[in-house]
Amino acid sequence: MGVHEIEDAALLFVFGYHGAESHPIVARRIVRAKQKGAKIICVDPRRIETARIADMHLQLKGGSNLLLVNALANVILEEGLCDYDFIEKHANGFDEFKEVIKKYTPESVTAQTRVEAADIRKAARMYALSGRSMILYGMGVCQFGQAVDVVKGLANLAIMTGNFGRPSVGIGPVRGQNNVQGACDMGALPNVYPGYQSVTVPEVRAKFEKAWGVKLSDQPGFTLTMVPHQVLHETDPKKQVHAYYIMGEDPAQSDPDLAEVREALEKCDFVVLQDIYMNKTGQYADVILPATGWCEHDAVYSCCDRGFQKARKLVEPSGDVKTDWEIISLVSTAMGYPMSYKNTVEIWNEVIELCPGFAGATDEKIEKNVCVQWPCRSKEDHDKGTSFLHKDGKFAHPDGRAKFFATDWRPPLELENELYPLTLSTVREVGHYSVRTMTGNCRTLRNLEDEPGWIQMNPADCEVLGLAEGELVKVLSKRGYCITRCLPTGRVAKGAVYMTYQWWIGACNELTIGNFDPISKTPEYKYCACKVEKIEDQAWAEKHVREEYELIRGRMGIDMKEGRAA
Amino acid sequence: MTIKQIQSTCAYCGAGCQIMFTVDIEKNKILEAVPARGRTNDGALCLKGHYGWDYLNDPQILTKRLVKPMIRKGGKGSPLEEVEWPEAIAHVAGRLSEIKAKYGPDAIMGTGSARGSGNEANYVMQKFIRSAVGTNNVDHCARI
Ligand code: SF4
Repeated sequence: MGVHEIEDAALLFVFGYHGAESHPIVARRIVRAKQKGAKIICVDPRRIETARIADMHLQLKGGSNLLLVNALANVILEEGLCDYDFIEKHANGFDEFKEVIKKYTPESVTAQTRVEAADIRKAARMYALSGRSMILYGMGVCQFGQAVDVVKGLANLAIMTGNFGRPSVGIGPVRGQNNVQGACDMGALPNVYPGYQSVTVPEVRAKFEKAWGVKLSDQPGFTLTMVPHQVLHETDPKKQVHAYYIMGEDPAQSDPDLAEVREALEKCDFVVLQDIYMNKTGQYADVILPATGWCEHDAVYSCCDRGFQKARKLVEPSGDVKTDWEIISLVSTAMGYPMSYKNTVEIWNEVIELCPGFAGATDEKIEKNVCVQWPCRSKEDHDKGTSFLHKDGKFAHPDGRAKFFATDWRPPLELENELYPLTLSTVREVGHYSVRTMTGNCRTLRNLEDEPGWIQMNPADCEVLGLAEGELVKVLSKRGYCITRCLPTGRVAKGAVYMTYQWWIGACNELTIGNFDPISKTPEYKYCACKVEKIEDQAWAEKHVREEYELIRGRMGIDMKEGRAA
Repeated sequence: MTIKQIQSTCAYCGAGCQIMFTVDIEKNKILEAVPARGRTNDGALCLKGHYGWDYLNDPQILTKRLVKPMIRKGGKGSPLEEVEWPEAIAHVAGRLSEIKAKYGPDAIMGTGSARGSGNEANYVMQKFIRSAVGTNNVDHCARI
């Protein structure tokens, strides 16, 4: 599906995706769909913007996603709302699927999801019968220890109702950072080469060995989230990580369980940070390589619906910096594997030669059409790319058929308990981007919000602790603590609290847990147990926050004497 | 005439909105950013698209732009010292080669970037890790 198709859906099923905060412009399409008469079902534990304009808001309890998804499938089956013709023509595994789904009656999941059985039934009927239902999902699905199963569960709903392979249907992830799609497309993943070609398939490997002129490893590599473990706890010397070359990321701020990440960065023999700004990871790096940033170099980005688009060099950088690809080429050459690219077009041509799915997305075509959505296989002008995957019900499996996957629900790893009675979920902030080194340095954006951020809490929970809006509080989990401001809001349910992850002082990743989905290795940012403590001496706390902030900014290289105090 | 209009893609989220920049080439400065007609944004931008380029002026609010390669010459914990590019590149290549010789290629991990670097940089990074280092240990922060 493509972003522009959103507004023509008859029903939008928005699951764990907070458009208004993550992607304001995608959110606008959702509003436009509504204006054109689409029904909207919003599934989210918070009363987010989408919930306000939705026809139904299923305010489920965090961590119960798969229970709800399976119960929706159960209703569609029981009430005979399937598109049996589509299933027969295009899908496998329906009988096994039915077997698993049978037990997930709406009544059986009400207690854990906190969604009424009648509402589950109503939502399932609306989804199955709209004629053009589109599912959008976001980090509220992905950032759990059980994430891939839920994505497959959502795909089940689309397959069983025939909502695939036509305009304005299907299932679409809406990703956070601008070029997550691009990093994946280009093979910055431990198991696939560019174009999603597996490193374990001998013919594929042979193709890349020939193109690159070297023997390649047939073993999938580590994911980023495994690095702390591979540095600190791996006993097999062959599997320990001793060098970490980080390009444009800040794991010491963005990864879960920061205490462990810091320890790993300290213990790792050699850490290189290649970036545009000093950041927390840089405090541990042995070498810093300064790179050009957005607007200082040419690049192709992939937007969230697989569209290749160009970002241009608009200004000359002022420092003694180089583009990322130049720096890597120099290091590679110095290590005896020469790379001598002259510009990004030369690199892009190599990419599309090696990737059948991108082969037709030539530089000229992107230039001419502004955006080319892959798959785009032919260099001919007529192939302008593909708006929706699974065209005419064709799927990526070898036989071209979809497969039903049914799995049972697993609870999150760390449940609330007597010592830590609240559940913490991390979310985004509307004006800021990721770890904030860029947006925090834009004057207009920075004025929107500043350290130490906020913790969103239900007013009833605040009352128990005697907390007022704006008061500084201490938030603790088994792994660490941080200080932030209390924000009472009826948008969040009792017992659940929410923090955004870009703050240094209010660093919620001091608290989060390193529990990962077994397949995607995504951390469970959306669920861990925590508690909130009142700070009696507010004057001390305010002073402490100010001092900490100055200290960190000093470490980041800001000259305090110039009167730029926060 | 040194004022130019150049269309580019926003780098702040996956929506990939198109922005029309007005750039003063001679002064090397962006003057304005307004929405362009892209497939995804259809003539609108959010705050980040409108103002997100101010970081280029390095207002030094939070952190400082990195402008020179730096090495901790005295080892872990010692201060970062500015060096010239050839020294920085030789140092990185040398240390990575040492570690590879001592522990094997799988002891080295590299990251792509899901941010502003772009597809070409990600391609070159994974090719470097796979071909020059010899491991599939490459990944990026897709998960945040
Ligand atoms: S303008 Fe806003 S919505 Fe559009 S890509 Fe940039 S950050 Fe995303």
